[in-house]
Amino acid sequence: MPLRANLGVLENIAIVPQYLHNLSYQDAMDLAWTLLHVTGSTDSAYKRDPQLSHEERFIAKLLRAVVDKPALLIIDRPALLLPDTHYPPFVAHLLGLLADHFTHCWILDYPWNEPLYAPR
Amino acid sequence: MIPPMNRLTDFVSRRGAATLALWRTWRGIAVFAGHALTASLTPASYNSATRMVVMKQIYFTAWQILPGFTLFAALLSYVLIQIVVSTAARIGQSEFALEMSMRVLVLEILPLITALFIALRSSSAINTEVALMRIHNEIDALEAAGVDTLRMEFMPRIIGGVVSILALTALTSVLALILAYLALYGFQLWSLPDFSRVMGKVFTNAVMLGIWLKALAFGLAVTIIPVAEGLATPKMLFMAPISVLRGMVRLFFVLMLIEVTSLAFKYI
Repeated sequence: MPLRANLGVLENIAIVPQYLHNLSYQDAMDLAWTLLHVTGSTDSAYKRDPQLSHEERFIAKLLRAVVDKPALLIIDRPALLLPDTHYPPFVAHLLGLLADHFTHCWILDYPWNEPLYAPR
Repeated sequence: MIPPMNRLTDFVSRRGAATLALWRTWRGIAVFAGHALTASLTPASYNSATRMVVMKQIYFTAWQILPGFTLFAALLSYVLIQIVVSTAARIGQSEFALEMSMRVLVLEILPLITALFIALRSSSAINTEVALMRIHNEIDALEAAGVDTLRMEFMPRIIGGVVSILALTALTSVLALILAYLALYGFQLWSLPDFSRVMGKVFTNAVMLGIWLKALAFGLAVTIIPVAEGLATPKMLFMAPISVLRGMVRLFFVLMLIEVTSLAFKYI
């Protein structure tokens, strides 16, 4: 799902707990800021969708997905969002930083991309 | 050679299908308007997230355009006031100049110009955005994720549009009053009682109610029609520009219909 074009990254992440749990604006912003801090992405906090690089957009979407601590996180064809990045180590690094925020993660990718990932 | 009876049947069938399609479109717009208005007037629709999105929408629809639009409205008002004042002086009817310019500007032109400006700037964007969201299955995806799209996606746009039209109409009207005073009496305050008397005559309670109702109708039209049109877009990318075209044409006719209805109520 796309980011809301008229909200910055911080607000796009915060809107999830605001909507789902009616968390106050300040508490939701604190939660979103903590996640951005964990991934070292605070520079993009106030950027809106058109101003984001592919990596920043991927991180914003990932953080929006994990902010509610889901049991299962699904990343569907990461290459579509990260066309210019050697994405397996990039994604693995992010997932490592956010390990406390989800239980399981599935990455759906084409079979011919399997050698790009670390052996399981 | 097609027999004349078959041609007539074909013609009637085509016209019938077109009329039914048009009826379905307007019924869809009316149903959506009903849902949207119910949601906007239900306090339970508003939580921390909805309020934030509504505030952002108002910021992008009204606040961002404020300096440019105010300047344009001021220039237009000043030119029109000068035309009315000089014409009235030439035909020896100067005592009606203020009343005439206020009736033309504040009651008719400024609300309509504001609605047309918001329609060009925001309604076309809303129509495109919603049509693309529908074509890319984003609306379905949001609903599958448990998000109430009416509350989170459409209601903020409608409230933003209505608030923008009401606020910009009020602001430009006040500006026109100030400019009219300056054009007629110059930079002094001792003509305020005369000015107030004429304003009291023009802006009766019924007229004020009429302006607010017209601005409200404009606000609802510039947001509800593009959203409903976007939602009715078939899921094919090449239909996005056609959806925007249809939405803007329908919006134009509805704005004109509101204006003509308001004129008929006032002057016929």
